[in-house]
Parts: sequence; structure tokens; C-alpha cells
Amino acid sequence: MQEGRVLSTREMNRDLLRSILDTPRWFWPVVTVLGLVLLIAAIAIGIMVNRGLGVTGLNRPVAWGFFITNFVFWIGISHAGVMLSAILRLAKAEWRRPATRAAEVLTLFSLMTAMIMPIVHTGRPWRILYWVFPYDFARGIWPNIRTPLVWDPSAILTYLTSSTLFVIIALIPDFAVLRDHTTGIAHRVYSVLAMGWEGNARQWKLQIVAGVLLSALILPVFVSVHSIVSWDFGMAASVKSWHSTVFAPYFVVGAVHSGVSAVAFALILLRWCYGWQDYIRHEHIDALGRLLIVVATGWFYFLVMEILFGMYGREPDELMVRQTQFTYWPYNAWFIVFVITTYFIPVILWLSRAWRRNLWIMSIACISVNIGMWLERFLIIVPGLINKQLFTFVWADYRPSIFEIIIVAATFALVTMLMLLFSRVFPLVPLYDVKEGDVLKTQVQIGRRTVPATFRED
Amino acid sequence: MASSAEHHQGGGHGQHAGMWVFPRREEVTSDVSGKTFAMPSVYKLALGIAAVLAALGVVGFAIRASSDGFGSPGPWGYYAAIFSFVFMVTGAAPLVACAFRFTKSHWRRPLSRVSELFAIVGVVNIVLFIPLLLAMPPIKNPDAQGTDLEVRRTLWFEVPIGAPYTWDLLCFVGLALCSVAILWLSATPDMAQARATATGFRRGLYTALAGWWYGTKRQWNHQKAGLALLGAFYFMLIIFVQFIFITEFAMSMVPFWKDSVLPPMYTVMSFQTSLGLILIVLFIMRKWGGYEGYLGKAPFWSASKILLGLTLLWTYHLFAFFITYWYGRLEVEQNILKYLFTQPYLPLFLANMLFSFLVPFLMLIWNPLRRSAWGPSLAGLSALVGALLFNLRTFAAAFNTGNHYEFALSHVPAAVLPDIWDIFMVLGGLGIVALVYLVSAKVFPLISIWEVKEGTLYQKMDTFVRGEYLVLAKPE
Repeated sequence: MQEGRVLSTREMNRDLLRSILDTPRWFWPVVTVLGLVLLIAAIAIGIMVNRGLGVTGLNRPVAWGFFITNFVFWIGISHAGVMLSAILRLAKAEWRRPATRAAEVLTLFSLMTAMIMPIVHTGRPWRILYWVFPYDFARGIWPNIRTPLVWDPSAILTYLTSSTLFVIIALIPDFAVLRDHTTGIAHRVYSVLAMGWEGNARQWKLQIVAGVLLSALILPVFVSVHSIVSWDFGMAASVKSWHSTVFAPYFVVGAVHSGVSAVAFALILLRWCYGWQDYIRHEHIDALGRLLIVVATGWFYFLVMEILFGMYGREPDELMVRQTQFTYWPYNAWFIVFVITTYFIPVILWLSRAWRRNLWIMSIACISVNIGMWLERFLIIVPGLINKQLFTFVWADYRPSIFEIIIVAATFALVTMLMLLFSRVFPLVPLYDVKEGDVLKTQVQIGRRTVPATFRED
Repeated sequence: MASSAEHHQGGGHGQHAGMWVFPRREEVTSDVSGKTFAMPSVYKLALGIAAVLAALGVVGFAIRASSDGFGSPGPWGYYAAIFSFVFMVTGAAPLVACAFRFTKSHWRRPLSRVSELFAIVGVVNIVLFIPLLLAMPPIKNPDAQGTDLEVRRTLWFEVPIGAPYTWDLLCFVGLALCSVAILWLSATPDMAQARATATGFRRGLYTALAGWWYGTKRQWNHQKAGLALLGAFYFMLIIFVQFIFITEFAMSMVPFWKDSVLPPMYTVMSFQTSLGLILIVLFIMRKWGGYEGYLGKAPFWSASKILLGLTLLWTYHLFAFFITYWYGRLEVEQNILKYLFTQPYLPLFLANMLFSFLVPFLMLIWNPLRRSAWGPSLAGLSALVGALLFNLRTFAAAFNTGNHYEFALSHVPAAVLPDIWDIFMVLGGLGIVALVYLVSAKVFPLISIWEVKEGTLYQKMDTFVRGEYLVLAKPE
């Protein structure tokens, strides 16, 4: 038997546009609370700009702390969009359909949030100009265009641009549905956004070709973004634990792990908030769980490589960093929490089909992954810096200040609020994709059993 | 017996012509068994060539062993290279069946047995591995006890008893046992069916291996669960053994070479090349083996996309290594880059890139070529040539660095060219694989009969709107 009810087009439109056409009672109170958190963070940033980075726990040599950890974390989350949308589209995985839009939108908002972090990290954001423009000709101070710190914004902006295009292309048919279901200003806005979409054969063909082409083109960008972020660390030969050749694939797989987990959790929340039980079904969450077992295990393999080869060299300064990670309080505790929450808790939960289909358990597993993945970035960055390095002769510990904690917490509020606001104006489950999947569904009779099947052009 | 084409119906139209084939379920067993038991002249010719190559390898090995002995690793660099190539390609091959069985991809059905049959080569790998153990320098430096150069870099940090020889050998034995178990479990239903028509030693073998099989529902459930469990275990095991092997026999032989991305890169290349090899075998079966009724273009097309992905992934891993070392500008790392990539082995490196990346990439991004049977096979062949060059470059270099106990590579050693016995051993390695595989193909059917028959239930052509399209059923 196919899972889920057979739904008419009218029912699908009504259900999936509910978040736009009717405002749930909880919506504005939740947005207000999130807005308050952002306001507090804005005040914290204001104080930091006024007083300087001294209000944070950053010091010499720990110049990168919570902000950069959070930057890497949100870049990681942004990998969900391409993984679920582009790769699964190319692989023609049917179960991807309801998850793609949420994943793509999460990509956009997490990328935007990630980009804020280095700006905040500068303490006084106008100093970014110093990185971009040569400001002191006489002393020969030039921006180093060969540093990965310059490749970063290029890759991230390219990813943001292509992801935005990706979302817009996929939204066009849904804009047309919204245009036909609204009146007044909303109707006019959606008419402009729908760009004259009538749903004729030519338009569909172009839309599909554009989607497939973008899926293929965005893949190298997707891989490059987190690779380049990893090279922010990997190219620094002076911080021994960072100079590892495996960093690029390790970061990319980790990003997919955290990103897909975040999307699975977001889907569960959407299902609960908007009553989309007929669209975001247990089978979809189950499939995400199975995918995550493979991703998590791949990630764990890279983690083992990273640690093992860190010690393989038997270089005293690198061993010192590992000693810090494994034996010094509080890093040893964080390390245990990190490994357990990122791999062992979720994978054990995902191994059971019944647990993969239990939304509470899946939520716990997905949140657990992201707690662990945040800690992973922290444990890469900070222990590497607190030890003596090749070119520095100071040691220091790092304790994040309340300013850093507030600002980092606010980024979670920001992404949640942006997702909610998006769901107020655009459908977070792609109508056309779900409808297409429904049309292609069929069944095959084998003996006394009816087996779910799909029409495939190839 | 009617020709193969008469037994089957084709599916697909336009650009999909010949994409899918639907063998008649009731005739699959007798047809495949007949092909397995037959000895056509083309098969005999291939067997003869493989036997000659294998004999050359034995001669090369015997002369190398008698003239150089096993006291120093240097003369065994090319032997290590061909062993690594054979292990890389054939070790990962059974995984192709396991992986796509796990994802319930129907296109895998005709290639499952082709991939699992490489398990037999895995057993031969154990024998080929033993001389390498003898040639490998010990972890502890026999000439520098009590000094800073007492041990070379190794995965066996505290050098447990028997390290590295016993543990390395155990890894290979475990791997071979697991892959043979997969082959046995997968081939059991086919062997049980073939008992009725087989004669001579085959009948005895099939009875011994599959006499217990009656095809009850319980047995089928156990078989499928067993295949899933063994497949998952094999997946973890192959990655582990590859990690041990490439670290132990390549990285640790080059002073200061610390490259955490090398094991994943080696593994990705093994997936790439094993898929390439399977495509070549499928192409040969389709073209000359009379299996065109079982092999549409769908397996080639579907596998080609994965081959393209693996090609890109391998290049990505290589680049991750290269850029980290190159940008780091540490002198010791620069020497390793010069040694392995840009100076003595530059021609091999360039040829490696050409065949492992450029040729397959340019071929596989072209859709019409991916839709053919020869395109992906040719790309697979290119990947195999590239992998052979990769192994020659890596192992010939690693075994000839001079003092393996140094802290760092203080100079860039010269390239070591193969002599005639090295060439014999390289050809022999390829010959042994072909010989063992060809002999195995006459014992086990090259088509997984039960899977193909099962596939006919789950796939059919049906009308959708105005056209005929493939319907794929996915059981839970």
C-alpha cells in the first residue's frame, strides 16, 4: 500500500497554502519572542562595537572563538539544501519532494546568518574594508588575495546567489498558484513573481531543464564552500592540529550531516505547526533517517582519520592539542559529549525503523546531531589555538563572554524567525513537486501483494 | 536452445531504445545455466591469454625473489604496485552488489553476480600479499636501537605483538572470508536450482554448497537479512583494510608523509575502478558472451552517473591533499610533493590524471555517451589505466625512498624504472586476476538468476498519458 491518503489538487492547494492564507494564532507571539531575542543581541552587538572586542572572551592567541565556530556551523547547515534538493533530484529519489523547499530555504537563511558572524567577529565591522581595499600604500600593506579568508566570501556569495536562483526557479509554479488564490496587493505581487506562468508544456519543460541544470551546476559550488571554509584552518601550517589534508571532505560530510539533520527537524516542526501530516509523512522522515545513517558513518570515518593521523605524526605540538582535547577540563567533557551526540546517540536511534518513524525520537536525534556538530567546530578551533604554536609563544585559555553567548543564541532565533516569515508568504512544501510525485505514483500487483511503484522516464 | 534474443523483450523508445530488457522469467534458469556450462572458443582464447600472462608473472616473481631476496623493500616496489592495483579493484568489487542491493536499485540485478564473483580473487589476494609482508621493513629500526630513529612512523603506535605482519594478514583473511560468504549466500538459490541440470564436479559442488536450500520463505528471509548484514560488515571492513594497507605500505614508507586524506582517496579510487571493471565485464558479456537479453543499457547508464561522481570525488580528494601541502609551504611537505608529483614521477602523475580524471570526466558528462554500453565501459577502462599508474607511482616511490626510518625526506630521490621482471610481475598480476575470474565464471553463473527473476516482477512497461514508460516497484 502507498502511504498517505490520495488527495485532490484542491485539497493540496488548501492544505499547503494554509500557512499563507490563514495566520495561525501562535504565529505572531512566537515571532515577537524571537524578535525580542534579536533585539537583545542587537544591543549586545552595539555595546561590543562601542567598547571593542575586549568584551568578548577572545584573547591572544585565541583570536577565533564562538563567532567563528558559529560561522562554520551555519555554513554547515546550509549544505542541506543542495544535498536534499540537487543531489536527490539528480538521483530521482521520490521521497525528496516535500523536503526540498524547506531545505533550500534553510540554506539561504543559514548562509545569510553565517555571513553575519565574521562581520560581528571583526568587532568594528568597518574594518572589513581593510581586508578588501589596499589602505596603506607607503608601508606596502596589501590585502592578501591568496589567503583562503578571501576565497571564503567569494565561494559563499556564489553559493548564496546560486541557491537563491535555485529557490526562485522552483517557486515559480507555486507563485502562479498563489496568484490564482489571492486578491488585491498580494495578487499583484504574486503575479509579478509568477512571471506569466501558465503551466503550458514549454514552460514546464524549461522549468525542469533549469532545475536539473542548476542542480548540476550548484554541486561544485556546494562542495567548494565548505572546503574553502575548512582551508581557513587547513592552510594554517602554524596551528598543527589544523594543518590536515582530510579537512575539506571531513568538513563537507559534517556539513551534510548537520544540515540534513536540521532539515529533518524543521520538517517535523512544520508538520506539527501547520498540520501537514498528509505531506510530510513518516516515510519521508524514515528515508531521511536512513540517509543520515550513511552520512553519519561517513562523517565518523573522517573524524577517525583526522584524529588518528593527528597522532600518527607523533609531533609534540600536535600531540599537545590532542591531549588538550582528550584530557583537559572542560574540553575532555565537551569531546565526549560531541562524539556521543553527533554519532552514537543518533545512529543508534536511526537503526530502528520504528524509532525513525517516531517523530519525537527523530527530533531528539536531529537536535543531538546539531549540538554535537556545533561542539565539533568549537573543539577544532579553540584547543588548536590555546596551545603554543609555531610562531607564537603565548598560551591562554578561552572563556566565552555573555556577549558572545547572546549573539550566538540570537542566530538560532534569526534563522527560525526568517523561516517562519518565509512560510507566511511562500509555501514551504513545494506544491508542484508534491503534485507531480502524486501523479507518477502507481502500484504493481505481485501475487497477493500490492507494491508501491513509480513511473520513470528513465 | 533458442537464441538469447528470442527469450527477451526490450523496453523503451526514442533515446531510451534498448535501455531496459525484460527476460522471460520461466526461461532464465535454463538459459543462464546453459551459458555457464558452455565453453565457447572466445572463452578458451581468453583463458589461454590469461594463463600465459599469469605464467609470466610467476617467472618474474621467481627471478626477483632469487636474485634480490626479501631483505630490502626497494626491488619489490612494482610488485607492491600491482598487488595494490589488484586489491584496490577486486577488493571493492563485491561491494557494488551490496551497495545497490541496499538502495534497492533494480538496475543492479544483472551486475550483482559479476561483482560478487570477485570474492574469489580476494582469496588469491591473500597469497599475493604474503611476499609483500616479507619485503616490508620492520617497524623497529634494526640499526638504531635506543636512538631517536628507533621506529618509523606507523599505525601500530605501541607496536603490539605480531605488528604489523600478523594483523595485516588477519585483515586480508577476514576480508576474503566475508566476501566469499557474500558470494556463497547470494549464489545459493542459483546453485540449488542448477543442481538439477549440472553434471560432474559441478553437481557435487552445488550439492555441497547449496544442498540445504529449499527456497522456503524462512530461508529467503534469512538469506536477505544475511546479505544485508554481511554487506554492511564488508563495507566497513574493506574501508578499514584499505586504510591499513595504504598507510602501512605507502605512507609509512615515506619519511614525514602524513596525509589523512590518502586512505579515503584510495577507497574512492577503489570504488571508481571496481565499478569501471564491472562495466567492462558487463560489456564483454553483452558483446561476446550472449547475455544481451539480460543486459540492457540501463545498468551502464545508471552506473555511469555514479562513475562520474566517483571520478570527481577522487579528483577532489587529490586536490584536497595537494592544496594543503602546496599552500602550507613547509619544506618537508614540499619534498614529498616534488617526489610523488612534480619531479621524478611527473610523467606518471600527468598520465594518472589524464586517465583517472580527464578522460572519464569528459566522456561521462556527455549524455549520449552515457546512454551507450561502450561509453561507460571505455570510461571505466580509462579509470583502470589511471589507477594502475597511480599505484605504480605511489608504491614504486614509497618502496624506494632509501632510509624509511628518517624523520623527513631531506632530498628528492630519483625515480626507479621497472626492469623486465617488474614488467612480468605487473602483467602476471593482471593475468592471475583474469584467470581466476574466468575459471570462477564457469562454476558460478555470471547472472544472479534469482535477482533477475525477482526483477521481472518489479519492473514493467506501462502506459502513462500518451506514452509507454517504465514502472518501478519498490517493496518495503
